[in-house]
Amino acid sequence: MDFKFGEKEEQLRKEIREFAKEELPPDWSAAMLEEENSDEDWEFAMTMSRKLAKKGWLTMSWPVEYGGKGASLWEQFVYSEEAAYWGIPGVTMGVGGVDWVGPSLMMFGSEELKKKYLPLIASGEPDGVWCTAYSEPNAGSDFANIRTRAVREGDEYIINGQKIWTSAAHRARWCWLAVRTDFNVSKKHQGISVIIVDMKSKGVTVRPLINYAGYHLFNEVFFDDVRVSVTNLVGKENNGWYQLMHSLGFERGSVAGRFYGYNRRILEELIQYTKEKHLFRQKEIRHKLADMAIMIETQRILACETIWKMSKEINPVYEPSRDKVFHDQTAERLAIIGTEILGMYSQMDPLQRKSKWTKLKGCVEALYWLSPGVAIAAGTDEVEMNIIGQFGLNLPKSY
Amino acid sequence: MDLDFTETQDILKKTAREFMARYYPKSLVRELKKDRTGFRDEIWKEMANLGWLGWIIPEGYGGVGGDFMDLIVLFEEMGRACFILPFFSTVMCTLPILSAGTEEQKKEFLPRIAQGEMVLSLALTEPSATYEPWGITTKALADKDGYVIDGTKLFIHDAQVAHCFLCATRTETEGPPEDGITLFLVDAKSPGIGIEVIPTVAHDRQCEVRFDRVRVPRSNVLGEVNKGWDIVEFILQRGAVLKCAEMLGGTEAVLEMTNNYAKERVQFDKPIGSFQAIQHKLAQMLIEVEGLRYLTYEAAWHISAGMPSKLLISMAKTKANEVYQRVCLDGVKIHGAVGFTEELDLSLYFIRTKSSEFALGDGGFHRERIACELEQLQPLFMR
Repeated sequence: MDFKFGEKEEQLRKEIREFAKEELPPDWSAAMLEEENSDEDWEFAMTMSRKLAKKGWLTMSWPVEYGGKGASLWEQFVYSEEAAYWGIPGVTMGVGGVDWVGPSLMMFGSEELKKKYLPLIASGEPDGVWCTAYSEPNAGSDFANIRTRAVREGDEYIINGQKIWTSAAHRARWCWLAVRTDFNVSKKHQGISVIIVDMKSKGVTVRPLINYAGYHLFNEVFFDDVRVSVTNLVGKENNGWYQLMHSLGFERGSVAGRFYGYNRRILEELIQYTKEKHLFRQKEIRHKLADMAIMIETQRILACETIWKMSKEINPVYEPSRDKVFHDQTAERLAIIGTEILGMYSQMDPLQRKSKWTKLKGCVEALYWLSPGVAIAAGTDEVEMNIIGQFGLNLPKSY
Repeated sequence: MDLDFTETQDILKKTAREFMARYYPKSLVRELKKDRTGFRDEIWKEMANLGWLGWIIPEGYGGVGGDFMDLIVLFEEMGRACFILPFFSTVMCTLPILSAGTEEQKKEFLPRIAQGEMVLSLALTEPSATYEPWGITTKALADKDGYVIDGTKLFIHDAQVAHCFLCATRTETEGPPEDGITLFLVDAKSPGIGIEVIPTVAHDRQCEVRFDRVRVPRSNVLGEVNKGWDIVEFILQRGAVLKCAEMLGGTEAVLEMTNNYAKERVQFDKPIGSFQAIQHKLAQMLIEVEGLRYLTYEAAWHISAGMPSKLLISMAKTKANEVYQRVCLDGVKIHGAVGFTEELDLSLYFIRTKSSEFALGDGGFHRERIACELEQLQPLFMR
């Protein structure tokens, strides 16, 4: 065994830290990751995307031929971890551009699609920003229930239907859309396809959904007779379910380093706060911080195990679900303990982070209000637990 | 980063698994519960033959010259089998002899340990029931021939079969509690030693050991006089992570048997493992067990590589204490009423929750150590 990162990874870590110190405002912190919420943050995120693209980091995981660096999984982990710790925005190109749209296109897309979309994502420009539209009002955890339809007419698909909880749709230029192309199927997993839609198309309407704490992160997206060229079909018609399982795998695999880096930053912010406020005298707080440190280190090492398996070309089956559930449990606990440590100040609105009464730039409150959403996104904890049960423990299907 | 075992470790794991299946069935675990010595000479000799007793002892002293990390593999398998012979006790005393013993002490003890001729027992804790340095009140007074030890040690594992104790004493009462502690290697046959097995629920041979004017020659001091706490600290850290490995093995076994039961037990015409209430509990157990596994390996690897490891060790032990208990409690409950019985093998693991938790530091003890480290931590963003 060897629990050290290699020299290459450590060098990269150093470079990212230098980049963060040079490029981020001096009082920047991890609280500001909700980049799609405000125009001001979004604009800053996009300037960072361009800089990351120039460094070659934005799509470092991609092969060189598609504008990447062919970075190892370990380098990607270090990059994600550091970017999250320092709160470098603009790393994802909307929801999924870098992490799963690109890799899925490489796997299933036509030459034409690859040539058009991959360089756009790798450029870090606003024209490379994506949203991912899977969920519908009646297709949440039961995702195969989708009813948004694409009907072929000559060289075009005509798309009608509604998507919901579509994060960053209000920032995205393109939509990675799951649709039904066949209704006459014996199983609902059949007849699904993936189509790329230009968000500027006629008939696309984005309606904001505001969350309980005032964030504008996700949206409803309506498709009314939206016409899309058949060349925008990704992979094969009606092969969408199979393709999307790969995309979801990319999605779950990409977040582990980021989640860890984010939690680690908030823990360190809390430790510093506890020191400055002389709260380390309180045994209760000391022990809570100790528990958090254990959870977060466990989170890191589990994520590393998943990556280690992938690096040995062992296809992880339940591990990403395990890591996601454990992250959600860790983040929730961190948010609760963090707000307890901040005490009455944790009542502040994290979106008003410039208020003189806001502590730690609102990062603890932001975690508190956003962590339930993270626990639901990309598969609820209950769905992930089903995957762990079925594939990690070989138990019978429970739903 | 690489999480693979070495080839040696793979073989060790396989051998240990086979050894336990062959020599250490659950029927023997139950038999040993009722046995006064808790010892089986033929098994001990077989362990010596396999080189386990001298695994970390250099070849020059008759050992194998293996790595600390290898021990983790071994203890994980032992925990899995509910192994109870005094291997753990002996290793905890072997490690400090290796690191702090004089050449003479090494020559005297190490070859005999490796050959299976010697069982050692760590006489550290007392009725004060703490691993903090203030808990050590057993006195050792110097006279012209050596030292005279007086006091009571409690929760001493395997004292009933030990040939020798590694005993922590107070030789100086002034100053902070960690000063003035001296360790002695004490022949168990010395006049004045009284040993009584105390009735623990795990039947894991913990003893009260009374030292009544026990004479020890000066040459039996391990390390330096009054500087023994550093060695205790060394033992605590290594012992804690080895205990984690043992507990990890236990949680793996409990999860496995509970998972199997959930697949076999049918109610409402379905295996109970198909119900989410049960399945999600098992999934949570898996998450916790795997977390414990890699946290333990990580801590042990840092020790083995000579890197700072105090924080990781305390993290691993706190986690082990929680996970072992949680997995056992949920395991019992998933089994339903049969989980409440002695005849179920799970019971053998469950009855050890407390003896494992309080060996080498409970959650409060280790959380305190973690908090001290965190307080010293300079956040990355402040540097």
